[in-house]
Amino acid sequence: MATVTATKRRWDDVRLSATVFLGNKTAVAGLVIFLLFIGDAVIVQIAPGLLGVDNPDSVIPPQFTQTNPECVGAPPEAPSWSHPFGTTQYGLSGIGCLDLLQLTMKAIRIDVAISFFVVLTGAAIGTLFGVVSAYLGRWFDELLMRVTDVFFSIPFLILALAVGYVVGRTLFNMALALIIVWWPLYARYARSLTLSTKESTFIEAARAAGSGRIKIMVFHIFPNVLPPILVQISLDVGTIITILATLAFIGFLNVLVPELGVLANIGLGLAPLGYWWTVIVPGLVITAFALAVNLMGDGLRDVIDPRRRS
Amino acid sequence: MMLATFGLSKHFPIRGAFRATTRLRAVDDANLRIGSEEIVGLVGESGSGKSTLGRCLLRLIEPSAGEVLFDIPDETLKEYEEARSNADAARAADIAERFSLLRRSSSEMRTLRRHMNIVFQDPYSSLNPRWKLTDVIAEPMISTRFCTRAEADDRARDLLREVGLPEFFENRYPHELSGGQRQRVAIARAISTHPRLLVLDEPTSALDVSVQAQILNLLRTLRDKYSISMLLITHNIAVVAYLAEQVYVMYAGVIMERGTKAKVLREPQHPYTKALMSAVPIVGERKVRTILRGDPPNLVDPPQACRFHPRCPVAFEICGWTAGEIAEDLEFLLRGKYYATFGDQVQVVVESDERLRVEGISGPSNVQTLIDNEKAEVRSLSGIRTVIVQGGGVVLDLYPPVDPILYPTPDGRGVKCLLYRPPAAGSV
Repeated sequence: MATVTATKRRWDDVRLSATVFLGNKTAVAGLVIFLLFIGDAVIVQIAPGLLGVDNPDSVIPPQFTQTNPECVGAPPEAPSWSHPFGTTQYGLSGIGCLDLLQLTMKAIRIDVAISFFVVLTGAAIGTLFGVVSAYLGRWFDELLMRVTDVFFSIPFLILALAVGYVVGRTLFNMALALIIVWWPLYARYARSLTLSTKESTFIEAARAAGSGRIKIMVFHIFPNVLPPILVQISLDVGTIITILATLAFIGFLNVLVPELGVLANIGLGLAPLGYWWTVIVPGLVITAFALAVNLMGDGLRDVIDPRRRS
Repeated sequence: MMLATFGLSKHFPIRGAFRATTRLRAVDDANLRIGSEEIVGLVGESGSGKSTLGRCLLRLIEPSAGEVLFDIPDETLKEYEEARSNADAARAADIAERFSLLRRSSSEMRTLRRHMNIVFQDPYSSLNPRWKLTDVIAEPMISTRFCTRAEADDRARDLLREVGLPEFFENRYPHELSGGQRQRVAIARAISTHPRLLVLDEPTSALDVSVQAQILNLLRTLRDKYSISMLLITHNIAVVAYLAEQVYVMYAGVIMERGTKAKVLREPQHPYTKALMSAVPIVGERKVRTILRGDPPNLVDPPQACRFHPRCPVAFEICGWTAGEIAEDLEFLLRGKYYATFGDQVQVVVESDERLRVEGISGPSNVQTLIDNEKAEVRSLSGIRTVIVQGGGVVLDLYPPVDPILYPTPDGRGVKCLLYRPPAAGSV
């Protein structure tokens, strides 16, 4: 009986959250676009053939020029029924016929994966350090906050570039550089949340109950710090993807991976010649994703804020 | 004796630029006794240090000095008191080693916490919003290794019933409960390990009046049923009157008066207690209130000797007047009310802790007249012992202040006021 009521209550809770979220039309729009991106990423990962994508890891398939000699020097084609996003052209020798829709679908997989990887890892590291630092306080807290100050004092793009030039300019290292740039943000956020939670009377009650520091940190503070962090994560995925593309656009990557920033970079030389879609299309895709994630994040924030629920 | 503290003090360091330079003296030299199955009330206004004292007893705040002897047999306590008064440090340390909570390691303390717990004022923040009520109530049982997880869950259900809540609340979250219900949960948590001592820190202050009575009755029932000793911290005299047997009155971090409820509440002796009691409204009665001037003192730099003397309506010569306090009042009179007599040139100079000089006056004898006239109203002037004419001015010598202790009175209470100093101890 009791467990039945419990599951029912739990379920009611979920339903209330869903109602709050679905009541926000823009958030739902964000969610739909976000799901389209995720869907694309998953399908390209599992079965690229379904979307007509081959060689999801490279911009130009191997032996492309041998099998399609007519494409060498072919100018970019404007969007049409056969190429809805148009085509682009790469390099000095001008390898043409590269379908932008296909490239975009490949790129979304990589961008979404990297931004999730960066945000989740950065949030995990940052939250851990932030909670521990705020709870232990004293010199450890002081030290950690000065370290984050160092990170905050350097513009993050410059810092990411510096890291990239030290460890090498590959896709994985780009993710690494962004994690290094991003974790202090979460450390600060988690620290501030911990500091306010720490002062609640229930922490003192837990001490009066004989609970140790670790137990209080893991079972009392962490569950109260997590929900706002999750919202922050959902908002940051959109931010990270733009930074990711920016880095790639200004040439962080020296390899030809299908990434939205790389695609825009390829189009950079073509746009002045009138082939505007080669830059606009990747740019719009980035914008759409960032916007969708932000709208969705706002909706989520309403869900976890108890004042807006009632 | 369930609990006895000796000289318990808590001084909070105030962080300066580099290191703690000043201290806020939140609790000073508190000697508190809680008998077995006794409810002891601790009253005082906001900021008087009563909550800090309560938390120090349970080591939720680490005291700066003193001893907290827990569950000590009466004979041993007597022995300890004798050892202290005879300055037999070795004997006292030996007893303290066995009974003092402050000498327990953190793991020993964890097991000991079984025997003591606390109920907080605000039931909205004292329960973790993300925990189910079972887990909230079971926490002390599990953390102090009172029983196993499964037993704790069972017991949590029993406890819910015990405090008057339905069993099916076990899977609810705190936000689904009202304030009174939450406070019942907090009480269930506090009594879950069969504690022998419970600190109640303003247990009803955050509740509606109708719910307050229910909670107080619940506490009384639980005390009778489980023979728990309680320390009831509150600013609400009615609550103390209803529950407590012994009452301690605190002001500015110091215990001012101690005695049975009937004595302290009905016939207060200490001037502060009198003022406090005169503020309690009584239905159908017109009261003459003693209205205190000024504000409670800053505890970073508390008044010397008796901490109440600057506001005390009956303060006299040796209550702790400093040269600064007297100079301030005197100057105010000289330049204000007595401006016509003294004019612009008059100046009060602090020469030392016990000496003031008034300069720039024509007729020195006027100062004596002023003091005599204003003494009754401006209490600080009573601290002036002699007025000597010297050169062009007047030298005022002050009385040396005396630190009051909790003087025992014939009717068995303690009053920290020099008015109750036994005459044999010294004459003014």
